[in-house]
Amino acid sequence: MPLLALIPALPLTGFLVLFLGGRRFSRNVIAGIGAGSVIASAVFTLLWGIRFLQSPPAGGAWTQSLWQWFRVESLSVGIDLRLDALSLLFVFIITFVGALIHIYSVAFMRQDRDYARFFASMNLFVCSMLLLVMADNLVLLYLGWEGVGLCSYLLIGFWYEKPANCYAANKAFYITRIGDTAMAIGLFLLFKELGTLSIPGILNQAPQHFARSASYSTLIPLLLLAGGIGKSAQLPLQTWLPDAMAGPSPVSALIHAATMVTAGVYLIARMHGLFLLSPMAMSVTAVIGAITLFIAGCSALVQTDIKRILAYSTISQIGYMFLALGVGAWSAAIFHFFTHAFFKALLFLAAGVVIEALHHEHNIFKMGGLRQKMPLLFYTFLSGAASLAALPLITAGFFSKDQILWYAWSAGNGNILLWAIALAGAFITACYSTRLLLVVFWGEAKTPVGKFGGRLIYLPLITLAALSLISGFIEWPHNILHLTLFSDELQQVLPATILQENHPPEFLLQGIAATATIAGIYMGYHWYYPITGRIYRWQAGTRMLAFRSFLLDGWKFDQLYRTLFIQPFLYLTRINKNDVFDRVYSGIARGSVSLNRLFSASQNGSLRWYIAAVLIGILFIVTLQLLL
Amino acid sequence: MNGLQFEALLPYTLLAAASLVVILLIAFRLSHTVIQITGFILMCAVMVALLQASALLPVAIYPIFQIDGFALLFTGLLVLCVMVVGLFSFIYFEEREENPKEYYILLFLGTLGAAVLSISSHFISLFIGLELLSVSLYALIAYLRNRNNAVEAGIKYLVLAAISSAFLLFGMAMIYMETGSMEFATIAKKLQTSNGHSILFITGTGMMVVAIGFKLALAPFHLWAADVYEGAPTPVTAFIATASKIGVFAVLLRFFQTIGLSNYPMVITVFLVLAVASMIIGNLLALRQQNLKRLLAYSSIAHFGYLLVAFLPGNAAGVQVAVFYLLSYSITLLIAFGVITLLSSREQDTGDLALFRGLFWKKPVTAAVLTLALLSLAGIPLTGGFLAKFFVLATGAQQQLWFPVTVLVITSVIGLYYYLRVISTLFGEAVPTPVKKTLHPFFYLTTYTSLIVMVVLLCWLGTFPNDVIEYINRQLLIR
Repeated sequence: MPLLALIPALPLTGFLVLFLGGRRFSRNVIAGIGAGSVIASAVFTLLWGIRFLQSPPAGGAWTQSLWQWFRVESLSVGIDLRLDALSLLFVFIITFVGALIHIYSVAFMRQDRDYARFFASMNLFVCSMLLLVMADNLVLLYLGWEGVGLCSYLLIGFWYEKPANCYAANKAFYITRIGDTAMAIGLFLLFKELGTLSIPGILNQAPQHFARSASYSTLIPLLLLAGGIGKSAQLPLQTWLPDAMAGPSPVSALIHAATMVTAGVYLIARMHGLFLLSPMAMSVTAVIGAITLFIAGCSALVQTDIKRILAYSTISQIGYMFLALGVGAWSAAIFHFFTHAFFKALLFLAAGVVIEALHHEHNIFKMGGLRQKMPLLFYTFLSGAASLAALPLITAGFFSKDQILWYAWSAGNGNILLWAIALAGAFITACYSTRLLLVVFWGEAKTPVGKFGGRLIYLPLITLAALSLISGFIEWPHNILHLTLFSDELQQVLPATILQENHPPEFLLQGIAATATIAGIYMGYHWYYPITGRIYRWQAGTRMLAFRSFLLDGWKFDQLYRTLFIQPFLYLTRINKNDVFDRVYSGIARGSVSLNRLFSASQNGSLRWYIAAVLIGILFIVTLQLLL
Repeated sequence: MNGLQFEALLPYTLLAAASLVVILLIAFRLSHTVIQITGFILMCAVMVALLQASALLPVAIYPIFQIDGFALLFTGLLVLCVMVVGLFSFIYFEEREENPKEYYILLFLGTLGAAVLSISSHFISLFIGLELLSVSLYALIAYLRNRNNAVEAGIKYLVLAAISSAFLLFGMAMIYMETGSMEFATIAKKLQTSNGHSILFITGTGMMVVAIGFKLALAPFHLWAADVYEGAPTPVTAFIATASKIGVFAVLLRFFQTIGLSNYPMVITVFLVLAVASMIIGNLLALRQQNLKRLLAYSSIAHFGYLLVAFLPGNAAGVQVAVFYLLSYSITLLIAFGVITLLSSREQDTGDLALFRGLFWKKPVTAAVLTLALLSLAGIPLTGGFLAKFFVLATGAQQQLWFPVTVLVITSVIGLYYYLRVISTLFGEAVPTPVKKTLHPFFYLTTYTSLIVMVVLLCWLGTFPNDVIEYINRQLLIR
């Protein structure tokens, strides 16, 4: 059995070295340590992953107990790692995509003052994320969970001199905290009910236990779901992710697109046993996913900031994953995670290049004409956008999204309504992908293009572009080609998707989905292709303008929360400016001080007085005794 | 006296001999260093003798001494304290104007007195022990006789201690009148036959409580503490705060347990009042104190108030907790006074908090050591002080002594304020002070080392107390 601990330990070492000694190293050394540690982890993961696939271990998982973390009565929590098909996949994405992004960052962050701090935080993030997905018990998972939250905070606010960035970091931290708290309560309840927090233990015991007493069988998965919603930016806790784009582009690519935001997906997939026991929790998951994907997709349609478009698209794509989880299409959700990680990381990295090349210009309507200026970037971006739009048969996004669309109707929990929303989402996705591509790369250049790029920038882009196109080929729809490597592997961990009895023919649904995508692309072309440019005329109407700004603000969720929570709270703080409760404490303090004065007066240094005090004491004691 | 008794008494004999040896060394005009080292070796010898004796226990030298595991623990703790105090004394007195040699005679005599208290089971031995201790202390406190506040402190202590001794004798006489015995066990037996609620006995215990309360500086007999702590040379202050109180507390515990005073509600009430008053007054007095030595005096008033909470139930668990508490308290106070000794200049002891301002930036190790000691006094987790206070609370709560337990918690919060105030001073902005010339690198080094060893010990007590508690339990079972 391989030394699993090495995978998270390498980035952790990188973090420690950079954190403690980062200031003293040269930039090359920092880059070597920061990127090297993650690359080494990726290499180990690849080697062991191949070994895992060639000769699967008994029980489908490698486990390794490092040491006991703590023990309280019957609760014993260890630093125990587990690598099965599900976590192997996540570890692969985290280390492999992580390594590519680290390589990109070496060049991208080169000019930054805090080079060492950046890599230290990134390494700590990778380590926490690896702990999260490799944990064999929920406490260790929670450690990783909080660790990634911390790193996300540190990296969103990486350029902390700008107040807006700190605000965004705080917002992300607070909002995810709501989910984290719910999740912690879920863990407590789980422990109270089952007496264990080990993942295999929970999955084994839950069916019998909740068959006997179903009191918490719905509440616990819902609380875990709330944790997942916070981390994965789903409705109603989605508002932090668009603002999180304040961080450097590699951070957005790694944390807020490819890995951390999918932690919720991982958690639900990992805890599938609990969700399967509660049809209600499953339905809630599916509905939340469906609504989120639609709402976020609509917002992505009107954004002008290139990174915010991608952020809303991320929320929307994770909505697809939640939808798939909710309908019971476990492996479809994970498959979409797999392909999404490649193309979304690619899009963010490419967007980073665009922004740098255009001198920190974020507004896509001030870009344009990059197709001729940066052809290599154009082709990589094209493959990413095509994959996001799910262009049929030639992109990875198609294979994964098509599966979700198919199961949204046909799987056990699916129905036509979920499918219809998902289909609308697919149309919108194709539309805004096209819009993004056309506005940025076609037309005339509105901002002078600077020089930016290099081998370290393009190597990750090209790799990811290739993967965005081909990574879907390992899992084909049943009716086209019987090749299902991905779900076969995952079925060691996750249950197979059960289909409804009367479901429509798969070909039909695929045809509709492909049509919707093509239609979306056409609509995007129709509106935004510079020569036709219908949208610009259309936008002028005032009613449209109001609707547009409604979407632009992400369906006004921020305003809603401001009115509902922030303003009442601020009102309370205003009327309680001179804290009422503080009076009690300052009263105690004043009382203590005056008593101190009183007693200090007794310490007057005069012997006569001391003797008198002793005598009074004696009288007091004797009287007291005699009285009793 | 047979051989067994002799061997069991050997540590105490050795302690008595230590004073004589020092007198001889002075007669042969040997240097301070030699006396210091000899004294240290003698104390080590006492420790070895104690360990040797532990196999023979319990041994009674009827009627005056009872040497058992309990006595051994207290004597051991005492001697350890004196070893450290002796170490501090060297660098302190070497720089002072007074001839330091006779100091050691008094120190060892005082230790002998305290040690005798811990084994006494009779009023005679109790009184002799107490007087040995007190008389040495009169001279020790006023040892730097050219300094006004030292002499003043000595006189104050003399007068007040004399009064308290008078009460002690009076109380003893009353109890003797009632029971016809001066031996603890016999008194207990007599009390069982008579109903024990006679006015004579009650008044007698009341008088004795006064004397004990005075020695332990319990409120309302605490007024001397601050003046004496401030006026006495710092090592002597350390001795008063630790060794002298440990001895007195030992005899109080033994008397209390043997007579079974916990069955007398009025005695319990008296101690309850003393405990509560000490906790409140001690902590409140320290609140705005600007002199670290006085602050520690008030703090130790409060700490003995806490300790009484564990003592009130009068059960075995209380004794065990008391020993643990005294151990962590002694280590902590020794560290604090050790730091003051190290920082004191030739002219005056460094008591004023202003002199500690910014110590961390000048002497980080010393400041860190003092910080840890103060945190332990405040009862912050991971230090011995926290666990000690926790055990006291647990004992009190088990016996449902809700009133003193509540007062303990509240006054601890008040206490936190002034400990943190001192700590924040240590980290304040540094004021330039003249650099002190270090005279004796070797002794400075050993003093530093002992401070650090004690800090490590304190943290060890706070994290892995099991070994120590088991040892205390084992020893307490030897009776």
